[in-house]
Amino acid sequence: MAEKMGKKKTTKEILQTKRANRKRTPMYHPKALKMLDKEFEQWRRSRLREEDRKNWFVTPRTVLGSEIPREMLYTPLHLRDSDYMEDIGLSGQGPFTRGIHTNMYRGREFTMRQLTGFGGPEETNQRIKFMLAHGATGINVLFDLPTIQMYDSDDPFSKGQIGMSGVAVDSVEDMELLFKDIPLDKVSVSLVTHYPSNTAILFPMYLALAERRGIPWNKLQGSVQNDITLEEVVRSGPEYIPPKDCFRIQCDNIEFIRQNVPLWNFVTYNGYNLREFGTSGVTEMAVALANAIETTEEMLRRRHDVDWAAERIAFFWSPASDFFEEVARLRAARRLWYKIMKYKFHAKNSRSMWMRCHTQTSGVSLRREEPLNNIIRAAFHALASVLGGVQSLHVDSFDEAYSVPTEEAALLSLRTQQIIQTETGITEVVDPLGGSFYVEALTNDIESRILDEVDEIERMGGYVTAIEKGWLHKKITEYFCKERKSIENGEIKLVGYNIHPSPMELPPINVFQYPEGVEERQKMRLATLRKQRNGEQVNSALNALEDACENGKNVMHYTVQCAKVGCTEGELFKVFKKAFGLWKPPTLW
Amino acid sequence: MESRIKVLLSKLGLDVHNRGLITVAKELRDAGMEVVYIGNSFPREIVATAIQEDVDIVGVSSLGGAHLTLGSELMEAAKKEGLQEHMAFVIGGVFPPADAEKLRVVGFDKVFVPGASREDIISSIHQLVSVKTKRSV
Repeated sequence: MAEKMGKKKTTKEILQTKRANRKRTPMYHPKALKMLDKEFEQWRRSRLREEDRKNWFVTPRTVLGSEIPREMLYTPLHLRDSDYMEDIGLSGQGPFTRGIHTNMYRGREFTMRQLTGFGGPEETNQRIKFMLAHGATGINVLFDLPTIQMYDSDDPFSKGQIGMSGVAVDSVEDMELLFKDIPLDKVSVSLVTHYPSNTAILFPMYLALAERRGIPWNKLQGSVQNDITLEEVVRSGPEYIPPKDCFRIQCDNIEFIRQNVPLWNFVTYNGYNLREFGTSGVTEMAVALANAIETTEEMLRRRHDVDWAAERIAFFWSPASDFFEEVARLRAARRLWYKIMKYKFHAKNSRSMWMRCHTQTSGVSLRREEPLNNIIRAAFHALASVLGGVQSLHVDSFDEAYSVPTEEAALLSLRTQQIIQTETGITEVVDPLGGSFYVEALTNDIESRILDEVDEIERMGGYVTAIEKGWLHKKITEYFCKERKSIENGEIKLVGYNIHPSPMELPPINVFQYPEGVEERQKMRLATLRKQRNGEQVNSALNALEDACENGKNVMHYTVQCAKVGCTEGELFKVFKKAFGLWKPPTLW
Repeated sequence: MESRIKVLLSKLGLDVHNRGLITVAKELRDAGMEVVYIGNSFPREIVATAIQEDVDIVGVSSLGGAHLTLGSELMEAAKKEGLQEHMAFVIGGVFPPADAEKLRVVGFDKVFVPGASREDIISSIHQLVSVKTKRSV
């Protein structure tokens, strides 16, 4: 109603009015709280040392931390206004604070989805099979730099970078080799297509492959990222298309995939890479949620039903070193997403209100010095993720400050997950930290901080505007420059680096060496493709795509046709650049 | 008389990770240097810009694995133009330990690995530039 009457309410304003209307299942009897107030005050006066009283609040200083002050002791007094069913509740129902599934890991283990990608499709295919043979339960494919940046392997820009940091994929032919002997209708595949643009280009190659193999698209399961934040903010590249066009492609992809590949997760709002670039856990989530809100609004504007558009949304987070903050953050984001979907968008299907998520342990938190220490760091990040109730997980390898992981290091990461899953017993109880005075208070605090930042973005004119204005770029730069100072001056302590450094020369670790000959192989395969494909079909598919870009038709309908007739990635990106023009991102410093 | 150091900074090739280089750019500027930051660029372009801007030192960053191929190409292009005589070249990023030595062999005056401190970077630049340009900086 308010929306019709004038100024549109922000998400925060909408949620605030709902808070006033909640039903009451208070956590504590007022009389008990009153007694506790007295007891606490007495304890504070008689037991607490002067310096503890003075330093009651301490702010943990950690890599990628949010600098949220912590009290020395948490009690029911911190939850005096909490309402059990509204704030904490039961698992598998709103507000989902305790988990999206009723029985959580008892019913379904978290998916062990280790990132894989290096060299040509043949090498990565071997590594995928190696991981599956050792008990991995999902596939997570990372593409090489030219593929991510949308240049073909024979483009002069790609020279010397083929198969680096990921696998080279130029056309459907490479997709075929990448998934050789892998049953696409049985395994869940995450394609780490960071950007809307490369999602629009690469996912159709996967669809074309399925079609070749006679697998109907409605049997395919997995996810793409498809996130404007990655293309326009986190990325550093030679050429960018404008944010509004990038956002449109993001929405086109969502629409097409939802319509044609019903089990596929069409968007993974990626906080991870943003946070790793340099931002707090609060901003990470606020930005992803602001993007999700704006995208959902666009889907409504395109006349889709909210439950249709939201059912398969996924999120991707970076758990760093502040252990309880990480657990609380996941719980807070689950509750906040529930409220947004329920109260702002009036979703009816509870699946639309699920904050389903994947986490990858924080890479920036790892150090080059004494690399074996990274095994411990990643294990704590992973533990926080599982205690926070994630759906799938990747554990970084200890050697990643040197190169992509060796087979040995990749296996150790998978083993870390398997040990948490099978040897610690923590998966037997749902949300084991729920009800902790500390964790609940921190969950409340973080939720309200995230909502404040969502509000800031909305008041600025929305998320795409925040990108265009450079607000986010600036915020990130300020964050990571400040963090670097804090590490250098020792405020943030890192064992083996700026505290307790080893006086001894430690033995070197094995470091991965990239396979040779990948560049030549990719170029030869491209030359063969360009010779053998039907030139007329290629041209007409590319022309149709250009027309779709310029006339507001859903681009993915046309990129699918391009993939089928053997167009290459670079050829499609050229069409985008021609149709949309180039954008210069704001200076970062 | 002391003169201001002019630095050219570039991401090497298609590498997407720019947090480190932006940090360095800011720190060098704050330390009084003139910084030309060109984002992602390729060896020949980098050399052409270095000549055009007449910089004292060129710093490139690579975390994506292309440090040897593009790094060597950059140094070859620099040698062809005779830049190494009076211009310093440094590289930073993520690479295997053995590659740091290889990068020095192809001609980089200094190789920075993750963990290089602000002080270390600034003092190395001062030293390199004063040696290369034979002026006090």
